[in-house]
Amino acid sequence: MLSLGAALVWPVQAVLIARVLADLLTGSDGLSPLWVALGFLALAGLRGLLDMAAQGMLSGAASAQIDALRAEILTVETAAAAPSRSGGAGAIAALLTEKLEALRPYALRYRPARLRATVVPLLILGIAAWHSWAVALVLLMAGPLIPLFMALVGWAAKEASARQMGEIGALSDLLADRLAALSDLSLIGAGDAVVDGFAEASEELRHRTMAVLRIAFLSSTVLELFSALGVAMIAVWVGFSLLGELSWGTWGAPLAPFAGLYLLLLAPEFFQPLRDLATTWHDKAAADAVRDELIHWREETRPQRLGRGVHDTAPRFAGLRWQGLSLTREGRVLSWPDMAIGPGESVAITGPSGVGKTTLLRLLAVLEAPDTGAIHLGESTLTNDTADAWRSRIGWMPQAPHFLNRSLRHNIAFGAPLDPDTLDRARLGAVLAALPRGTLTPLGERGAGLSGGEARRVMLARALHGAPDVLLADEPTADLDAQTAGDVIEGLMGFVARGGTLIVATHDPRLSSRMARNLVLEAST
Amino acid sequence: MTALFRITRLLLQGERRAFLRGFALAVTVLLMGVALLGLSGWFITAAAAAGLAGVGAVFNVFGPSAMVRFLALGRTAARYGERLATHDATLRALSRLRVRLLQGLLTSPYRALERLRANAFINRVTADIDALDGVALRLLLPGLAGMAVIALAALALWVLVHPAVALVVGLGYAILPSLVFLVGQRLARRSSRRAEAAMQATRSRMIDLVTAREDLTIFGQLQAARAHVAEAISRHATAQDRLDGLERRMGLGLDLTGAGITALALGMGASLAQTGTITPAEAAIGIFVALALGETVAPVRRALTEIGRMIPAARRVAPALVAHPEGKREATLDTPILRLEQVTYRRGDGTPLFAPLDLLLGPGESLALTGPSGWGKSTLLLMAAGQLLPDKGRVTYGGHPVSDLPDETLHQHIAMVPQRHALIAGTVAENLRLAAPEATEDALWQALQAVHLDRTLADRAGLKTRLGFRGAGLSGGEARRLVLARALLRRPALLLLDEPTEGLDSATARAVLTGLRRALPRTAILMAAHRPEETDQADRLVPLTATT
Repeated sequence: MLSLGAALVWPVQAVLIARVLADLLTGSDGLSPLWVALGFLALAGLRGLLDMAAQGMLSGAASAQIDALRAEILTVETAAAAPSRSGGAGAIAALLTEKLEALRPYALRYRPARLRATVVPLLILGIAAWHSWAVALVLLMAGPLIPLFMALVGWAAKEASARQMGEIGALSDLLADRLAALSDLSLIGAGDAVVDGFAEASEELRHRTMAVLRIAFLSSTVLELFSALGVAMIAVWVGFSLLGELSWGTWGAPLAPFAGLYLLLLAPEFFQPLRDLATTWHDKAAADAVRDELIHWREETRPQRLGRGVHDTAPRFAGLRWQGLSLTREGRVLSWPDMAIGPGESVAITGPSGVGKTTLLRLLAVLEAPDTGAIHLGESTLTNDTADAWRSRIGWMPQAPHFLNRSLRHNIAFGAPLDPDTLDRARLGAVLAALPRGTLTPLGERGAGLSGGEARRVMLARALHGAPDVLLADEPTADLDAQTAGDVIEGLMGFVARGGTLIVATHDPRLSSRMARNLVLEAST
Repeated sequence: MTALFRITRLLLQGERRAFLRGFALAVTVLLMGVALLGLSGWFITAAAAAGLAGVGAVFNVFGPSAMVRFLALGRTAARYGERLATHDATLRALSRLRVRLLQGLLTSPYRALERLRANAFINRVTADIDALDGVALRLLLPGLAGMAVIALAALALWVLVHPAVALVVGLGYAILPSLVFLVGQRLARRSSRRAEAAMQATRSRMIDLVTAREDLTIFGQLQAARAHVAEAISRHATAQDRLDGLERRMGLGLDLTGAGITALALGMGASLAQTGTITPAEAAIGIFVALALGETVAPVRRALTEIGRMIPAARRVAPALVAHPEGKREATLDTPILRLEQVTYRRGDGTPLFAPLDLLLGPGESLALTGPSGWGKSTLLLMAAGQLLPDKGRVTYGGHPVSDLPDETLHQHIAMVPQRHALIAGTVAENLRLAAPEATEDALWQALQAVHLDRTLADRAGLKTRLGFRGAGLSGGEARRLVLARALLRRPALLLLDEPTEGLDSATARAVLTGLRRALPRTAILMAAHRPEETDQADRLVPLTATT
């Protein structure tokens, strides 16, 4: 609203200019130039301040909206127990960061421009009609055409900018694709070929983008053409009227110099809000695209995490058992035989791929809830309320490591002090010695050059840290050479020897043969 | 700032003509706009004066009114041309920038390139390039065109109206908005850097939260990770609010600058007209031109918000654009023998990865490096490929240290297939021809046959089978065989293979290695092996041993 107020100051400023010039012409000295200049400046100050206040409020509102959306995404993604179908971690992170930022220019530029476009032209039309029906007629003729052209421009611009953004996105993807392959392709001397191929694709995309832009620019040129013609017609009409060549177009009395000048100053302002609106259409298109994506993301119903994922105090592990567990996964029913595991036992879960070894471990870690059956810890059952306490007693080795973008030390102990014994038990000594900054070495998303075996040992250290009662390990020796696999197995057996309870899912006979019990899962047919 | 200058120069360099055209059109557009308003103001005021004096009939109306219409239409047409010209030039320049980035990176050391593979880094680089698209379009062209038009308008005012008005309008518009821009840019720099850093932190922390969600849950760290993201978000919000506030104040400064100059032109024009120094119509020119010139400084505000993003982007991109000097002499190779003498390697300041190693490999021989993972097998292959320098010892090929060989010689003789599958979006043929651009279809099929991929592909679209980004659409084993086929097409004298049969079942692994050997009978093959299928194929085994 304030921004509208700011836009309405201009007609008053225009009065001052027109009055001064008219006074000069008629030779009457009504207003002193100094006061007029000061008045003009004061009005400009008022306009600027109103504008600034409006922008401040809009910016505050935009920030609040973006913050709320970010909080929502963060909350939902934290509580979700399954990845979103609308994209991986990179896509979600992009939505959270730069994509939501697209809502800011929309709020700051597009919305006030739309408000001005609906009010200001009408007001100026009114003022013009007061002075001259001819000028009002010219504006009115452009008037009904303007919604039509706006719709046209909007439609074309949206289409164009959507496609242009798509093309730019495609080019970025292409660049990312080539960058990822560049290092390895240079090893077979194909680096130049990659660059050439990319240059060609990039040129082709430029051609297509320009074809789209040509149409987009043409439609906004039509709008400009109308505004330029409107202003020129008014200028010419006003000029002829003032000369006395034309005597029609006013309400009886001949056009006064003041009115003529005033009309000329107002005419561009009739079209300006519409032109502003056209230039901000890009902001709207970008915001719409983000909103569509948000809606898409919101529509998904995703399983909720049990527990909050925080540490909780819990009694020592005194055995667990499960009964009648089953789960439907992609139309297939997985079920598991009942079992009880006491403290200090070591159990191997074996069986063919896809039979549900990993899923059983995930059920035990309460990462998923079974459709039927329950897991009992002594007297209590694993539920939303008991999940955190139970998880505080377990260590976990997933099949694929996901290292955090932080130091090795943080990846093992999450900020707690690091116990040197833990590192020894995970056979990490040699690995650390070879790293330039030891436990402070930053691990990137891919583990910063750690080999598969080294990464596995870091995961073992992480699982052993915090002295868990139960360790759940998923294929801890997969893809490892004999020596590294041996190291990992010894680390795990050391845990059992110290009284820990070990449950592993494995294909590896070297590992399963060392376990006290063996649960063989068979495909239910 | 210097980085931004360099990028700007680079952007302009290749497209000088296109940008000049854009610049000329931009000046025309602004000039016509200013002339349109100035002329209209003069025309109406003069017409009114003539009308009042009763000499309307002798006033020449057709010249000015025709001129008004010409300017109105010409401006619209010039605007269309300007937009097309500048956008086309920018797209060209950006396309060139991307290509230059690839070329620059190509000459940087292997380890630096390897880091590129991380998603976060790639996204960063591509986002940076996108941020630079406004350099010419929203920063340089409007700035220069605006300055030129201000100068021309001031000149016209000097001649048509009065030197004093010309000085006020010209100097006012030339100096004050530039000052606002420079001051604002300086003030915004810190917040802008903070906002950017917080944004990157948010991104990387969110990626961690989502990918490691399950691990974090089990280790009781989920809420801590969430708070970690929330902290970065709130840091960004604070910096962004500060930036927005600054932008508003600078916007006010610009508005007031324009209004102040117009007010001055108004006051001075009116005073001069009252004293009869100039006619009211001439005063009108001054006022209307001062008003119209407001349009030339409008882009400053937009530029202010963007330059904060452009400077850090330019700073990150600029170093990657520099091609590293080669400075390597031509080398004539002796007998094509790879020789390693007492070679060791250490990561950073750590202990050496393996005990000093000696090795000799001649044409037609196959040799397998064995040893636990993480002991440096891949590192050794990279040293043989001339991509890494040993800490101690020498790696020579044909009598020359490999790291001294010029790239051309290196690529002609040596090819290496790393563990990962470097495939690009495109067809199978396109991927294969990266290694051998001239290869015939028959040669491609032969290479595919050697790695036993021909039948699998024949069932699909053959050589025209399309792969997604990074080779998506092929299984791990298929991708593996495709990169082997590609290396084979280069017919290298020395082939370095890093765990070549990873992801293949035992029978296929053996068949592929036999096929490779049959296709390249005279090639020396050095592989990092960890499966019996690989070690069985080798003539000799070289175990890596730990340093004691």
